[in-house]
Formats: sequence, C-alpha cells, structure tokens
Amino acid sequence: MYKNLRSKLVITPWLIWLGIMGLILLTGLVAGIFVFWKGLVITNLTDLVPWGLWITIDLSSIALSAGAFSLCAGVYLFGLKRYQPIARTATFVGLIGYTMAMLALILDIGRPDRFWHAVVYWNTHSLMWEVTMCVVLYLTVLLFETMPILANFDWLCKRLPKIAHLMSGTHHYAPILAIIGLGLSSLHQSSLGAMYGVIKARPFWFKPEMSVLFMLSAIVGGISLTLFASMLAGRLTNKAKVNDALIERVAQFVGYLLIGYFYFRAWDTLATTYTYDPGRSEGLHVMTKGPLAFNFWIGEMLLGMIVPMILLLYKQTRVNPFWRMLALFLVAAGVVAFRWDTNISGLMVVMPFAPGQAIAYTNYFPSLVELLSGSAIVAFGLTTFSFGVRYLRVVDHSLVETEHEKVKVKTIETVTA
Amino acid sequence: MSDNKLSRRDALKVVGTAAATIIGLRMVKKANASESVAGERQWAMVIDQNKCNGCGYCVMACRAHNDIAPDITWNPILEAGVSGEKNVYLPRPCMHCAKAPCVEVCPVEASYYRPDGIVMMDYDRCIGCRYCEVACPYQARSFNWDAFTGDNPAVPEWGEPEVERRPRGVPEKCSFCYQRIDRGLSLGLEPGVDPDATPSCVVVCPTGARLFGDLNDPESNVSKALKENPTYRLREDLGTGPRVYYIPAVADASQEV
Repeated sequence: MYKNLRSKLVITPWLIWLGIMGLILLTGLVAGIFVFWKGLVITNLTDLVPWGLWITIDLSSIALSAGAFSLCAGVYLFGLKRYQPIARTATFVGLIGYTMAMLALILDIGRPDRFWHAVVYWNTHSLMWEVTMCVVLYLTVLLFETMPILANFDWLCKRLPKIAHLMSGTHHYAPILAIIGLGLSSLHQSSLGAMYGVIKARPFWFKPEMSVLFMLSAIVGGISLTLFASMLAGRLTNKAKVNDALIERVAQFVGYLLIGYFYFRAWDTLATTYTYDPGRSEGLHVMTKGPLAFNFWIGEMLLGMIVPMILLLYKQTRVNPFWRMLALFLVAAGVVAFRWDTNISGLMVVMPFAPGQAIAYTNYFPSLVELLSGSAIVAFGLTTFSFGVRYLRVVDHSLVETEHEKVKVKTIETVTA
Repeated sequence: MSDNKLSRRDALKVVGTAAATIIGLRMVKKANASESVAGERQWAMVIDQNKCNGCGYCVMACRAHNDIAPDITWNPILEAGVSGEKNVYLPRPCMHCAKAPCVEVCPVEASYYRPDGIVMMDYDRCIGCRYCEVACPYQARSFNWDAFTGDNPAVPEWGEPEVERRPRGVPEKCSFCYQRIDRGLSLGLEPGVDPDATPSCVVVCPTGARLFGDLNDPESNVSKALKENPTYRLREDLGTGPRVYYIPAVADASQEV
C-alpha cells in the first residue's frame, strides 16, 4: 500500500504547477486577510491616488474577458458557427475574469461588508452603479453560458446525471444569452471607460473617446487572451484539443482589429494636444515623456500593437504557432498596460483648484500586500483555467460536432465556408 | 426556426422592459432632485481673503466639533501667494456644489443633496469605492484609511464632538456643520447669526473672515456680502456651482478699512 501511495505521488509538471499556484494563492490569502483586518492603511493608496493596482487588475480582467461576449455574438448572432468551440473557451475565460474582478473589488472597497449596497441602493446617474449592475447581471449570464461546460465534470455526470443533463441543456438558450450578453457587455465595457471619461476634475481623462477605447481594446485583448490560452493549453496537455486552422483565422481577424485599435489610440493620444486645459497636456507629458513613457511607447504601442499586428497579418509568422502565440500574448499584455496607464496617468497629475496654484505631481507604487494579493487573484484565474482544461474539457475543439447535434433550436441557417 | 424567433423576441421584450424601467426610475429621481435643490433655505459661505490670516483656528474647531482624526483635515488652509506685504490664505471647506461631481458618481447614493443645498454623506451606506474622491475637483474628501481610535487631541480645548466618528473605510468631508444648523433651527435660532446655529469654523474665526447664511434671504449677511464685494468661486469653469464664495485679497485693503 505504501508503495502504491508513493507511486501515485510522482511529481508531474501538473503537480509542480499546482504547487506554485498554491503557494501564491496562500500568500495572497494571508495578504488578503491582513487587508480585511488592518484596513486599506497597509496599501500604498493615498487620497491623491485612491485607485491603484487592484483597480488595474479589476479593469484588465474585465477587459480580457470580453472575448466571451464578442465571440458568442459572432457565433450565435452573426452565424459564424464554426468558431463555436473558441467561443466556448472564451465563455469560461470570461467567467474566470469576472470572478477575478469581483475578488479585486472586494479587496479594494473600504467596506467589503457592504458590497451588496450597489445592487440595493441605485444611483442611476452613476456610471459605477451601471457597471456594477451590468457586471452582476452579466456574471449570471456567464454562469448560464458555462453550464454546459460545467456539466462536463466527470463526477457530476456520474453522480448526478439528471442535473448534468439539465445543465448541458442551457446550451439551447445560447442565442438568447448571447443577445443579453452582448447588450450588457457593450454597456459596461464602454462604461468602464466612461467612468474615467466623465471626471471633469481630471482633464486627462475627461473625453468622450474613453468609452470607445475601452470597448475596442477589450474586444481585441479579450479575443487574444482566449486564443493564447487555448494554444498554450494545447501545447502543454493532451487534454486540450486545438483546431489550429480555426485559431489562425480568428488570429488574423485580431490582426485587422489591431489596425483599428492602433489608429484610434494613436489618434486619440495625439488629439490630446488640440485643446489646453490645465492638467491635460501635463497628463500627456506624464504618459509620453514622463514615468509612464516606457509603458506607453514600448508596452502599449510597440509590443502591444505594432509588433503583434505585423506578426498576425504576415502569413509566415501567423501560421507559425510560436509567433502567433507571442503576438496574442503581447496584445493581451498591451491591453493591461493601457488600463494601468489610463488609471495612473489621470491620478498622477494633481489638479489645482485655487487661482495661481501650480500643477503638482504624485506617484504610486503598489505595496507588498497589494502585490501579493493581486498576484493571488491572477493565480486564482490561472489555476481555475487549468482545472477547466483538465477536468471540464474547456479547450476541446473536437467537441463541436457532438454538441451541435444536440442543439434543437437552430440559431441561424448559414452557409459554412 | 420559428421557436427561435419567438424566444429572441421575448428576450428583446425583457431587455426593453428593463431599459424602460431604468429610464422611468431615473426620470422620477431627476424630478425629485430638481425639487430638492430649490428648497426654502440655501446655505452658503463667504470667505474674505483680506481678513484671513491663516491662524488655523477653524481647522482645530472643525476637528473638535466634528471629531476628526489628526491626520485628516476637512478644511485646510492653503497659502495663496502674497498681496502687497501680506500673505494671502485660502481656506478650503467642502464647496457644497449645486452640481456636485461626488453626488453624481456615487454608485449607492451615499452622497446626496439636502433640500437646503448641503452635500451630505451617508456614512452607513457608503461602500468605500473612493469614486467621489477621484471625482472631486477640490480634494475635499479624505478617506479613512485607518480607524480613528483614542482621544481627539483637539478636544476639549477647541470644543466638544457633536457628531459620530466615521468608521474605517469611508471617505469623509465637511458638512457645513449640519448638526449645528439643524439643532439651531429647531431651537428657533438663525444660522449665520446665532453662534449656536452656525458652523464652528465661522464661529471660531478671530478675524471674522467667514460669513455663513441663506442665499435665498436678501437680508442675510452672505447675500449682503455678495452684493457689496467682488467675489469668485473655485474652478467655476467646471460648472459645479460651489456654494463657497471668496472675496479676493486686495493689496491695500487694510489701509482702506
């Protein structure tokens, strides 16, 4: 028996992976408990920079979850049915992303015991209220959308076959869920940008383009992350079955989307100089020449847009899995850099309110507690995804036929190319 | 196919109804809001920068009466340059904006307008998201990063606390000493005239640099001061409509008086 046990405890890459993730999760858990116990005083947040790393994680995970609604809309509403297996993965990524956002928010708000107030007390004028409601509702939609995936769990299939059957049945409502998801996501993905865009007190944020930029970058980054995660899973484990041709087509689409995103982001940045409000040019200066210059020019522009654009549109590099994966990863990372830059650039310029007062600058670097708990949130996402790949066949492009046969309600009659 | 069409229509109906409900609710709220702004009394403050000498008594009285932690100031005094030979100061309470960004952005309506124009905080409802802090152009809000425990060093020298201490995890700000106004009115006193019904910073000011009163009453001292003096408000370009007016320092004001 002892021998049996020892042979079971062979150290596999999977166990090492779980070990590392477990360690990060554990330290993050301790850090999180410290935050709840000691309060936000142990962070590096101040009255001048009240939003920092956690908000960036929150914004980024919501943005990178946008693959769920955009791919579901493509598959169930625009009739691009053959991409259904990718949309399936995206839905699961979305569920993880929104859960991560919720975790980050619980850490970030001063009164986590009152998180439910946003659902009960409505200020319909507040963009943050709208975002909260949409996120709560969309998380519910995502739960229904991922039901058929969760129904793949072996244990559930064996022990509670009826429930598993019921859960996979929600697949029939996919088109309706896709409509609701598209509506809710369009609302809150752009409203997250507008949340910054309406703040008159921060001239660098105060512009209507903010919501469009957030929406566009979310779609680009969200699809990229889903494709990257699928490819990575396909390389690392045989539990994931990837249809490379399918991914390549979507990756090319991402390449075209990037042109639009790049054009819009570059135009928006350059257009900042059209008007001068105190703080506006200063914000641009901080971002393009100041402490955020590396993030902006290298992280966002070069590595986040131009390099992947070339890699994804040039056929030789796109068909090569390595270059394609690299490009997709860079796009997702670039979107995270965009969220970080946007949040911090507006806060770093301290607006004067008295006549003759000079513009001041402040700075922020996350504290250890913020970093540890933040990485635990990311580790939570990675762990959940790897569990999904291993036990729920989240990345399985061979599933498509069987599942489509089960569909009683046809979405749209389309000619598959 | 037909099933599908029906269900899609149903889904659209649901979405439509939800949208209509939200718009409806919003219109009701808007109506309430416009009603509340046009209350009978409209409190405002006038600060004369010619008289303010930056002594900081108001800061201490404010801390005592509102039981504020030593590391938080609701009403800081900024140095605003030199006029002639004199240093000029700018005390900055909450502006109690008529169109307050903090009220607009608060997701849970923890910040709200009182009918008399005071921008109030419901500390029991606030979730501590700090959006109001980000949105306020005047940096009028301070977050309780830590709990304020122990004695208040400003008490009893500068006064006795009149309101509850705010808990950890919510932002706080000047309230125009609403507790003094409300209590004073219930005792038949006139805010701005009777010290017991007037914000503590106005009462304590040794140079009389602060005036408080009703904008709707043409005989109130703030209405008179606004009529007789040139005044300005902070960042009027933002359209927030502050209720705190400043009489700018004039170089030879002391000789004129």
